[in-house]
Amino acid sequence: MIEYLQRTRDYYGAQGYAPYTWAHHEDVPFAQPAKTLADSRVVLITTAAPYQAELGDQGPGAAYNAKAKFFTVFRTPIEPPPDLRISHIGYDRKHCAADDARTWLPIEALQHLVANGVVGDIAPELIGIPTNRSQRITNEQDAPQAWEIAQSLQADVALLVPT
Amino acid sequence: MCHQSVSLIARHLEQQGLPTVVMGCARDIVEHAGVARLWWSDFPLGHSAGKPHDPKSQLETVEGALSLIDSASQARTTAVSDQVWSSSDAWKADFMSTAHFTPEKIAAMQAQHEQDRAEAARLKQS
Repeated sequence: MIEYLQRTRDYYGAQGYAPYTWAHHEDVPFAQPAKTLADSRVVLITTAAPYQAELGDQGPGAAYNAKAKFFTVFRTPIEPPPDLRISHIGYDRKHCAADDARTWLPIEALQHLVANGVVGDIAPELIGIPTNRSQRITNEQDAPQAWEIAQSLQADVALLVPT
Repeated sequence: MCHQSVSLIARHLEQQGLPTVVMGCARDIVEHAGVARLWWSDFPLGHSAGKPHDPKSQLETVEGALSLIDSASQARTTAVSDQVWSSSDAWKADFMSTAHFTPEKIAAMQAQHEQDRAEAARLKQS
């Protein structure tokens, strides 16, 4: 397993940057499911960004593209599958070709599970969340908005997929 | 940063009573933040939902992750996917490697980093 906390500390430290203080909590909230998975509606939460042609290369193999970043929570229908990409994220560009969106946006797999009765239902829209360095903004701005949308979608479970 | 962001969102949703599962590749970042349920795949970042062009891997990943809704009984439940990325672990040395850093490369990276930060600041204000 890669120790990402140490790896990023070393990587940015070698460039002269102070170490980032990653979020850390001892106490962890735990919600007991009210329904089984087979009776639950799942909402998908992603960090991928809506493709916008005017923002430069966001396709497979694109270099990190800061222009494609977004800073507000969004919602979008899952049908037809939205064109959401990951050029704004520091994923492993050497070992991820980013040419199959299903590796970060598992709509097809979720639909398969619904068709087979493993999952009750999928929320008709997914939730997109920004990847902000500021934990305060994530906690105080983005998280309450994500909750509001999840409620409006009558979700019983949230599946969160980082990139 | 992505794994941290979803972890913080998951924590908030759990506090509101909504069960969550984080499905990711950076185990230490998610566990450091502290979440209720994590499905961990030891894959290169970018493959949280399974291997590329491999629907079986993708389906097993999502099914495994969501199975935690029925099986997890306490916070900090981490389940490890039994899928293997490659017969070699060589890929793990590549990500954010500093092995080939030179003063020139560091200077170029710093310049790019500052440019990216400036772009992010501009976007935030627009």
